[in-house]
Amino acid sequence: MPLLSNTAVLLRKELQSEYRSHELLTTASVFILIVIVLFSFTFDPTSAESRQFGPGLLWLAFLFSASLMLQPCFLKERTNDTLSALRLAVSDPFAIFLAKLCANTIFLLVTELLLLFVFAVFYNVAVLSVFPKLALVFFLGSLGIATTGTALSAISSQARMREVLLPLLLMPLLVPVLIPSTEATKALLEAEPTLRWDWLGILIAFDVVFLTALWLFGEYLLEE
Amino acid sequence: MKNLDSVFAAYLIGWAVFFVFSLTVAKRAASLKEELTRLKERLNESGPKGK
Amino acid sequence: MAKTGIYTFIVCLLIGVTAYASFYVAPTESTMGLVQRIFYLHAPSGMTSLAAFLVSFIGSVGYILTRKPRWDWLAVSAAEVGVAFCTVVLLTGPIWAHPAWGVWWAWDARLTSTLVLWLLYVAFLILRTMIEDADRRALVSAFFGVFTFLDVPLVYGSIWWWRTQHPQPVVFTSAGLDPTMRKVFYLSWLSLTCLMALLIRQRYELEQSREELRTLEQELEAH
Repeated sequence: MPLLSNTAVLLRKELQSEYRSHELLTTASVFILIVIVLFSFTFDPTSAESRQFGPGLLWLAFLFSASLMLQPCFLKERTNDTLSALRLAVSDPFAIFLAKLCANTIFLLVTELLLLFVFAVFYNVAVLSVFPKLALVFFLGSLGIATTGTALSAISSQARMREVLLPLLLMPLLVPVLIPSTEATKALLEAEPTLRWDWLGILIAFDVVFLTALWLFGEYLLEE
Repeated sequence: MKNLDSVFAAYLIGWAVFFVFSLTVAKRAASLKEELTRLKERLNESGPKGK
Repeated sequence: MAKTGIYTFIVCLLIGVTAYASFYVAPTESTMGLVQRIFYLHAPSGMTSLAAFLVSFIGSVGYILTRKPRWDWLAVSAAEVGVAFCTVVLLTGPIWAHPAWGVWWAWDARLTSTLVLWLLYVAFLILRTMIEDADRRALVSAFFGVFTFLDVPLVYGSIWWWRTQHPQPVVFTSAGLDPTMRKVFYLSWLSLTCLMALLIRQRYELEQSREELRTLEQELEAH
């Protein structure tokens, strides 16, 4: 199927480009780390408080970091007009979006899981026992962030003040990702961890809706 | 009655929003119409003269 | 021209009747007393803002499919009117909350969702100011308009579920509506919806005039 093979090729290009430079992963990870440290100055993290407020701060840190990390996504395609080349190279323009959002999901997930361990150490929270379930929550949340963020990156790259515009557009849109992700993470970090399928259901719904919307309308964003 | 002030304030502020919105749109429309008539006159002048 | 005048008159009449009904026809609520009457402006404004955003969504989809500018005019007009109605909800809410529950703001499900909705569509309007080229602006904001509207049910759903999990004592509706109250509520909803249509029409004509101006300016340059 041409869509999948095109996507695979483009995805490999995105991953290779990041593998060579490490720019996105490094800056995103350090940024989340900084936010986590700064937050520790705003309240005194006893173990119980960390379990209560921690997931929220963690997901806020992820959101802020993502809105910075997603900036170059389409912006870098404007130099040397590589976007036109990409458009000519694929039969379905959705392949471009699919490749980028898969790459972004992977980058987000890697940084999030890495910083989860840092968070666990700093705030004395047990994460190893529920790690696979946490990874699922993080994956569904990151997919939602990456889908909308990639689309919005294409939008903001065509506008002025794009550095501020992308977070401004993205944050309100991601409220239905922030709430379920935080609640599901909180439930898993409790004394008796539970996997909250009601919250995961909302995340899945979000991912499906916006993936479909991007598939239907995305090509119009790439028009000349 | 204390609460009457609140009810009065709520309705006043609420309707003020709609009023201000409508008024600003109307003002912009009026200045646009002025600009349009000016341009139309200029076009009529330059039309027969230019040709 | 005359039609708009008649319609405006009807809207003003409806609003006048609604105001009278809100104050004199609707019975006083037992627990909150007089303050509860704010409900007849607060709640229908919320529903009307959603209706306006739906119209904006239709405009966005219409533009993506047809590329005719009038769909874009509809999208932006309806979005601005929707934000106006949202603003009314957000302003009347605290004025109701303070005497009724002693707090200026309550993170109640409906009010919180309205706040997020307001932020979403303000972002939409800001996006439009950041793109100069008219066609590009129309296409890009149409896309964002579609995304934003699709987000609305998810926003409401996630916030409502969150509130259900962590309940609060503040409730912004009269749970059991007396039949007369219900009639006044529907009357208010009707008059606000008619007002919405009027305001959208007014704003739409402004966009139309702008386009006329643009074409004239281009014609003048050609001479």
